[in-house]
Amino acid sequence: MFINWKLREINLKIVYYGPSLSGKTTSLQYIHSRTNPERRGELISLKTREDRTLYFDYMQFQMGKISGLMPRFNIYTVPGQVYYRGTRKLVLKGVDGIVFVADSQVRRLDENVEAIQDLYEDLEGLGFVASEVPMILQCNKRDLPEIVPVPTIKEQLGMNGIQTFESIAVDGVGVLDSLKCIVNSVVIKARGNISSNP
Amino acid sequence: MTQGLQVPEELLDEIDYILNHLAEKARTDTIMLADISGQLISIQGIMEEGTPAIIAALAAGDVAAMAELSTRIGEKDPHGSFFHEGETKSIYLHNIVGSFILIVIFRTKTPIGLVRLFAKRAVEQLMPITKKFEEIMGPPKAYNPDEFSKGITQELEDTFPDE
Repeated sequence: MFINWKLREINLKIVYYGPSLSGKTTSLQYIHSRTNPERRGELISLKTREDRTLYFDYMQFQMGKISGLMPRFNIYTVPGQVYYRGTRKLVLKGVDGIVFVADSQVRRLDENVEAIQDLYEDLEGLGFVASEVPMILQCNKRDLPEIVPVPTIKEQLGMNGIQTFESIAVDGVGVLDSLKCIVNSVVIKARGNISSNP
Repeated sequence: MTQGLQVPEELLDEIDYILNHLAEKARTDTIMLADISGQLISIQGIMEEGTPAIIAALAAGDVAAMAELSTRIGEKDPHGSFFHEGETKSIYLHNIVGSFILIVIFRTKTPIGLVRLFAKRAVEQLMPITKKFEEIMGPPKAYNPDEFSKGITQELEDTFPDE
């Protein structure tokens, strides 16, 4: 969170995290397509030749002034492949909220578990208390055959108690619900932080 | 800088002054200060092309990658500077103590030595100020957190219409 009192802006950072090909970039593309054009910035994607996320995808959207402050949300995705762990960690710097995008397919369950472990380790390495970072679970690809029931995913990932949404990112189903939920969680947390300052 | 940051106006004024001075002395187009997470803190000068928020986010990725590269080749202090020389415009990035990034955009006709010299001086001036960032937290001023929280719901509807 970064509050610029001179410009009266509050900047907040949300990161879409998860294993490779779970639907993080697709979710962001849908969000960008559905954001009021007057309130959104360009969608930036740094991709490999194979069209996979290399550094991150990024977009910013802003809202109208609330209580004299203009909220700006910076939304990032991370590259999911195991060998880009360093990049994932750097994108997490200064994060205010996380959407963990899980791949619901049975054969991807282990990769989800591995990714959530990486996430917790990265957060700790950056000085966060993982349990204090607003986080939601987005179980994607719910339209595919052979998917894991949501309660099982939550249990396997140790995310019982975390607010969860089912999604089909390619059709946009559930994507905005997830985003709106994390935005609200981030704002509530930011409110607490600001209130506790002298 | 992993947690929240509120910057008092007085500090921003000091930063703006230093960045302006650098822009004048080094004859640059645009000067920005961002934090290492990619948040834009201040921008001075003109920006004919590009979006400042995007430039700041990309610079943060670049600086972090370069710091990692430096570490991998055995550098003990990875907080250096580097620049990209373009055909008409170049970019100079300076990693300030691993927490902030000075971004300088200038025309290629401007000597890089000039940019380096004044950027280095600016960084020296910025260092004590950026250190204060994490020590001094700005007061909330005329800000009503409850009102802010309530307002978000309506703003979300306006930001994502037709849903």
